[in-house]
Amino acid sequence: MKTDSETLCRGYHAQNRRKMVLLLLIFILLLAMIATGLSVGASSVGPVDALRSLFKDTGRAHSIVWLLRMPRVVMAMLVGFGLGVAGSVFQAILKNPLASPFTLGIGSGAGFGAVLVIIFLGGSLYPQMIAGSAFVFSLFSAFLILGVAKMKRASSETMILTGIAQMFLFSALSAFFQYMGTMDQVYEITFWHFGSLAKAGWREIGFAAAMILLPFPFLMRRAWDFNLLATGDESALALGVEVERLRMWGVTAASFMTAGCICFTGVIGFVGLVAPHIVRMAIGNDHRLLLPASGLSGALLVLTADVLANTVWAPHVIPIGIMTSFIGVPFFFYLLMRRTREYW
Amino acid sequence: MNAKVKSCAVAAGFAVFLSTFCFFQAPSWASGPQQIEAIDGLGRKIIVPAPVRKIVALNSDALEALRILNAQDRVVGVFSQIETDSAFWGDLVNKPKVGSWREPNSEIIAELAPDIVLAYAKTPSPEWEARMTSQGITVLRLDLYKAETLEREIRELGRVLGRTQEAERFCSWNSQWMNRIESEISGAPQRPWVYVESYSDYQAAAPTSGGHEMVVMAGGRNIAEDLAIPFARITPEWVVTRNPEVIIKAGSFSSGYGAADAVAPLNKRRDGIMNRPAWSLIKAVATGNVHVLDSSIWVGPRAVVGIAYMAKWLHPDLMSDIDPEALHKEYMETFQRLPYKGAYVSDPAPEASGK
Repeated sequence: MKTDSETLCRGYHAQNRRKMVLLLLIFILLLAMIATGLSVGASSVGPVDALRSLFKDTGRAHSIVWLLRMPRVVMAMLVGFGLGVAGSVFQAILKNPLASPFTLGIGSGAGFGAVLVIIFLGGSLYPQMIAGSAFVFSLFSAFLILGVAKMKRASSETMILTGIAQMFLFSALSAFFQYMGTMDQVYEITFWHFGSLAKAGWREIGFAAAMILLPFPFLMRRAWDFNLLATGDESALALGVEVERLRMWGVTAASFMTAGCICFTGVIGFVGLVAPHIVRMAIGNDHRLLLPASGLSGALLVLTADVLANTVWAPHVIPIGIMTSFIGVPFFFYLLMRRTREYW
Repeated sequence: MNAKVKSCAVAAGFAVFLSTFCFFQAPSWASGPQQIEAIDGLGRKIIVPAPVRKIVALNSDALEALRILNAQDRVVGVFSQIETDSAFWGDLVNKPKVGSWREPNSEIIAELAPDIVLAYAKTPSPEWEARMTSQGITVLRLDLYKAETLEREIRELGRVLGRTQEAERFCSWNSQWMNRIESEISGAPQRPWVYVESYSDYQAAAPTSGGHEMVVMAGGRNIAEDLAIPFARITPEWVVTRNPEVIIKAGSFSSGYGAADAVAPLNKRRDGIMNRPAWSLIKAVATGNVHVLDSSIWVGPRAVVGIAYMAKWLHPDLMSDIDPEALHKEYMETFQRLPYKGAYVSDPAPEASGK
């Protein structure tokens, strides 16, 4: 018996070590991609100049690195991290592999908020108002889910169905105003829905960082509860988890993260769905690791997509929302095909 | 033959010649309901019922062209977005609305029973056109916004509507100013580099877009001249690297014709561009050569005004004798029969005005 227990313990620790190594690997890849993101661009500022500019005011190169490349890199990481964690939380509390900020209509809500400002207030004249309206409407759509869920005792099915219904509603409303718009407005709306990191400045980053990073410790504290939720509502309740309360707070926190991500960048939809699945296939369903790993892999995915979007067809920029799908979907398929058993 | 008979013969010959000439020169429907052949913006031959008495205009360029030809009284239906600048369109705003310029309501148009519907060359879809044709309504597709085809299309529309004189009058005015601008800037020692940004931020107007064409006509070189798609998204860093001498942003920014403080949104937009991170490194920003231009004088029947402004920004020394605002005033009063009002370009940037 003792031998069996020791073997189990050894196996458990070995598995944990493997997971930690994988987490470390993602982190190292992320550092490498940060270096790449700071080193490549349209100007002649290369890796050495970029490195020097980080610590010393070298004039033009310093401005390019600190005012143009660094904000882009930081925003890409924040957005990827936020969407990855939010997707992981939505999938856990709704116990559904298809749950993500966008399948729940939060992205469509944000899009509708942006469309309203573009159509009625003149769009890019008021970038802060577009962001503000996108933020308000993404939270509105989250609270709509919560309101309906509250009335129906927060079952995961109710939340998902409400989310899907409002996704179609907000998409239809956006399409209606787009249909009524002028040529300029149609372009503006289309580009907003493609997603972009070009407008990321330090002020926007400050706001986004607060929205994305502040809820994260709360979610990490509830990681065990998310694990227990996977065993079923009844058993989680029996083990002391306040399931309804956890769902409400989980959706609220993840919605704030999502709103902080997309209000400045537009729709980058695929990350929240797939980043958690990619790491789940590798490290399993333990949310103590899954949450940070989803965040890191989301950050890596968006940052890689941004670097490729700016370089593969330079000086054209391929919209980030398109590029994340281009690189994420094949990788996701690859992992899916390699799996020999169900992972969800 | 005596002199009297000779004069009679000459007069009779002249009368025969004149009637034959008139027969071929006058609109083919002048003698009664007939058909007239027109070439549309796609190069197709379109048979238009004549005379054209009822017109639906699906976009602002077509409606403005109809006013140039003094044919606005024949308009029976307009695009729904017309209300965004109701002061400019006057009574035309009260005409029945037929929906969006991209996908108008076929049923409303069918009920209005126009002789022709004026649409852009490629929008709405061919399927929509087939629906109109099945109702016996002719769709005449003319862009009326591209500087290079504007005069040909105005002449074609004038011929279809029996307004050839009005069309000629506008075309000769337009070509006179285009030639004058071309001649003024022909002595330029070099063509400055220009970054032309469309309505969305960091979206460059590249070849095949109207904006690129206008920069070239105004004597500039577009930094996006090598890009492959007409409205390409680019990075701020790329613009810094290309270091343009002039930046021009175009779009529907004005508060509209006759608005109280029409220049304020244009100036706000200009300030936004000048304050973009690291753009102080760009020559155009450092010298205050950043301008915002409203889409009403960008592409469209008034493109010559936009080109005059651009040429003045690119070649201020050579264009000192041309006043684009006076040109615009003349257009509004002569061809739109409206008093000149509103603001269409931003004020000179503070850095520039101080120099």
